[in-house]
Order: sequence, then C-alpha cells, then structure tokens
Amino acid sequence: MATTASSRPVAATPAEGRTASFYISAIVRYGLLSLIALIAFMPFVLSFLGTFKTNVELTTFPPKILPDQWGWENWARVWAFSLPSIDGAVMPRWIWNSTWLALVNVVSQLFFCSLAGYAFARMRFPGRDIIYSFIIATMAIPGVITMIPGFVFFARLGWINTFWPLIVPSIVTPFGILMLTQFFKSIPKELEEAAAIDGLSRFGSYLQIALPLSRPALITLAILSFQGSWNNFTAPLLFLQRPEMMTLTVGMNFFRTQFSNDFSAILVGAMFNAIPVLVLFFVLNRYFLESASYSGLAGQ
Amino acid sequence: MATATPAAPAGRPSRARSLARREAITAYLFIAPYLIVAAVFTVGLLVYAFGISFTSLTASFAAANARFVGIDNYLRAMTDADFLAALGNAFWYFVIVSFFQTIGAILLAVTLNAKLQGMRVYRTLLYSPSVASSIVMSLIFLWLYLPTGFINYLLGTDIPWLTTPDRIFAPLWGAVGLGGVPAFLQGPSVAWASIMVLSIFTTIPTFMVMFLTALQDVPGFVYEAAAIDGATGPKAFWYITLPLLRPVIALVVILGTIGTFQVFDQVAILTKGGPLKTTLTPAFLIYQKTLGTGTQAEAGFAAAMAFILAFVIVAITLVQRRMIEQD
Repeated sequence: MATTASSRPVAATPAEGRTASFYISAIVRYGLLSLIALIAFMPFVLSFLGTFKTNVELTTFPPKILPDQWGWENWARVWAFSLPSIDGAVMPRWIWNSTWLALVNVVSQLFFCSLAGYAFARMRFPGRDIIYSFIIATMAIPGVITMIPGFVFFARLGWINTFWPLIVPSIVTPFGILMLTQFFKSIPKELEEAAAIDGLSRFGSYLQIALPLSRPALITLAILSFQGSWNNFTAPLLFLQRPEMMTLTVGMNFFRTQFSNDFSAILVGAMFNAIPVLVLFFVLNRYFLESASYSGLAGQ
Repeated sequence: MATATPAAPAGRPSRARSLARREAITAYLFIAPYLIVAAVFTVGLLVYAFGISFTSLTASFAAANARFVGIDNYLRAMTDADFLAALGNAFWYFVIVSFFQTIGAILLAVTLNAKLQGMRVYRTLLYSPSVASSIVMSLIFLWLYLPTGFINYLLGTDIPWLTTPDRIFAPLWGAVGLGGVPAFLQGPSVAWASIMVLSIFTTIPTFMVMFLTALQDVPGFVYEAAAIDGATGPKAFWYITLPLLRPVIALVVILGTIGTFQVFDQVAILTKGGPLKTTLTPAFLIYQKTLGTGTQAEAGFAAAMAFILAFVIVAITLVQRRMIEQD
C-alpha cells in the first residue's frame, strides 16, 4: 500500500487518512481481544494455580491468585487416590480408560467413516441418495434424549458395566461420514480413474489414493472423535457404574459429595482431564479450527 | 459420475450390468458397518425406547412387571409438575443461552476478522474454553462460584450462586405490583442463570469459529465497494456483514436450540436439579426416572418424556427453519 501511495501522489491523502483510522481500529481490536483472551483463559490459569493450594486456601476470602506455598502434594494425593472396594489407585485407571476408549473411537471412526464416505462420494449404487438423506436426517435426532431411554435397550443386551456401549454404537458416526464424503468429493478423481484402468480395485484406490490425499480431513476427524470420546460424560455415566471401569469425567465426581467438596482434588482432576486436550489443541489447532468448516453439515 | 455410457454398442449391456452389480456389492460392503450400526443403535434403539414409552416398565431390568398402558405415560407427563417445571427451565435456558451465545460469537468473530499480526494466537487462546469438557468447566466454575470465590471477589458480593433459588425477574414483577405471577414468568433462578453464564462462556468460542470461517470467505471487494458508498464501521456490519452471515446464524441458532434443550452435564455435576428444582431439566429428569437415582425408577414414563421433548425440539427447529426460509 505504501509503495503505491508514494508512486501515485494523487492517492496519497486518502491513503494516509485510512492509515490513521486503521491504527486506531487496530489498537482497539488488540485491546479488546487481549481482555477477552484474558477472561477466556483465566479459569484455566486460576485453577492450575489452585492445584497447589490447600483446601483452606481454596475456600478463604479474599481469594489469592498465587498459592502460599508451592508443592505437588495435591497432585500426588489425587494420583494415589484409592477407593475401599478396589486394589490400588483408581486415578491411573480412569485416565487409562479414558485414553484407550478415545483411541479405539478414533481408529474405528477413521476407518469406517472413510470407507463409507468413499462409497458415497465415488461409487454408484442403488439407494445411495436415500441412504445419504437418511444419514442427514439421523443427525437431527436429539442424542441425549434418545440415549437415556436407550439405557433399557443396552440393559437388555447385557451391556451395562461393559465398555461395549461406548465402543460399538460410535465405531462409525453420521457426522464423520458426511464430512469425509464432502472431502472426497472435493479431491480430483482423475488419479483414481487412471489407477482403475491399471487394474486397481475399489478398495485399493480407496486405501492407496483417496486416503493419503485426505490427510487434513482425517486428522480433523481424528481430533474431533478423540475430543468427543475423552470429554464424553453422559454415556460413561449411564453405562459404567463400577468405579474401576469409570472414565476420568465420571470418576472425578468422587471428589464431590453432597456435603463437602475436596476442591484441591477436584481441580487436580479437572487438570488431568483438561491438559491433554488443551495440549493437543495447541499443537494441532489448525485442524481443530478447520472442523468449523464442516459443522455446517449438521444443519443441512 | 455419468461416465458409464448408456449408448454402448450392442452386446456390452450385460457386461456393463454385471460391472454395475459388482460395484454396488462393493459399495454396500463399504457402508455395511454403518448400516448395521444404524439399524441396531439408531432405528432399533428408537423403536425399542418408543415401545417402552407405552408400558409401565419401572426398573430397567424388570421386564416381567411391565404392562401395556397405552398413552397413559404421555398424558401423565403433560400434567406432571416436575416435567412441566423442567420444560420451563429448559425454555428459559434455550432463550437466554442461544441468544447470548449467538450475539457473543458474532461480535467476537467480527473482532477477530482482521488482517493483523497475531490474530492466530488470539483465536487459539479464545477457543480454549470450548476445547475442555463441560465437566472440567463445570468443576472449575463450582469453585469460582463459591461465596468466597473469585467471581464474588470481582463483583464485590458474597452470593452463593449455585444454591440460590430466587428468580431473577421476580423483583421486576414486584416493582409493578404483580409479585404473585406464576413461577415460570418470574424467570430462571439465580442458580440456573449462573449455569447459563457458564454455558454461554464455553459455547461462544465454538460458534465464533463458525462465524469466523464464514467471514473469511467474504471477498474483500464487497467491503471496499460498500466503503465507496459510505458504508463503513457499524453501518457496514449492519447492512453487509449480518446479511452475509444469515445462513450461519440460522445454523448456529438451530444447533443452539438442539443443544440447549438437552442440557444435562452441568446440572448433573453442579446442582442435580436443585435448589427447589429450579435447575431441573428434562434430560436430567429423564435420567433420574430411567435409572431411579434419587427417585423411583419409571423407565416407561421416562421414555415418554424423552419423546415429548424430542418432539418439542424437532418442532421448534422446524419452525425456525420455516421462519428463516420465508424472510
């Protein structure tokens, strides 16, 4: 801009006028965004600092931002937390349950959603459009509302206090299929057509051509499904009632009882739950934010 | 797509047909996992749950004592005080949360949508409340909302936010001499409004990103042309940005409706429906009745309430869609 302005004196005055207002608007923007960012991130900072405080410090007024003494006692205590009916510490178990369930969800959704998405994007078969519309329609079903009465259904299957209700219904999701169908449609198919002439099977061209070209969409889906499973609360609350089977989101409630809250333990538990997804988010935030461009799928 | 030429020379059609059949078989193999899961866990589960909503099923495992009771559960739900109170609470939650989360997300997206250094960093920081689980955010706010907590400290108050049943619009009615209006009209309780604030705080970033994506698709010349016509600043926002965002606003409002009517996590963690049932929501009530936590298990009745709520949600989103398409 500056170079064009200097080379063309006629345009100089309006350009300078714009620069002044540009700087003002930039300063206002930075100020406003800094304030909002502070508010948005403050709960995490305060509760992380809170994990180093004693329960007395955490509940006295006025609250202080920094702990009186720094120490990892709360973290050690929560890590070693045990329940009467169970041998050993439960916290590592809850973290493990949350982790492996999330990983199983990621792997199965990547495979089965991409397989179905490939069929909808690239193949011709009778009933394709009807089934695709059906998938879109099922996304309008209010999930929580149907899942809770579904408890009876899972009870009949004998699946209460097993991990099956958290694995099998979500091995392939409508959202994942729609998202990957859209992505496969957006990549050119000449490569696959050429490969087909060379005798590559449908599965081969899915595996060797379409999948490698879809890395960004697959990473986005992987992150979303990891986050969805790791943060899930309703399903594990319903189906996993034995303490040693619980996930982190449900297990943490042992620190909260009707009559007292063990706040230092609650905050450490919250950090165990929040830090992995926050780290994942900061490392891969490009893909997280990309997911927004697919969220329109849910409203079609 | 239409590369299979129907006008192929004679003799080919049967070969083409067998190829098409092979293609169809392969495609069905590819989508078979989805079809099986959808048949059992979407259609099957829905049919099953719909079936039990017409029975007197109590505990989840006690099929033996379940009788067919017709639409009794539905009739009972329509007059059940708890369910009606829960629907009222959910309605306030829907109105207030979806309003503020939409407005907040638009304003935040517009502020972020500038070609300035460091916007990526801000976007990342601002998105973080939406990354953590609702459980984490609820537990953190449980602490921040303490009478001795940071929120009271900042406001200079000592309100027990999550245990105060006073309704927030009651003083307004009192001021005009109509203190005795029905509880629903007196608005949400302080506890319920506190959960709304938490919920707005955590959902704004999700929707902000959707608006931001849409804004970044708007070509720059649109604003340049508008500036020539004298539309800058708030004028440009009102006459250009908002109309362009219409489809995204519609989507956010519909997603917000579906989400807010199903609110469950925050209630299960923070208030369990209290104080005085002012934070009781349909989803939490259905959960309690299905499993019999803190009440007697009545799975059939719970299923009926679930279908009524699902109907309400679908009806409201259909009306919203209709309104959006008409304008």
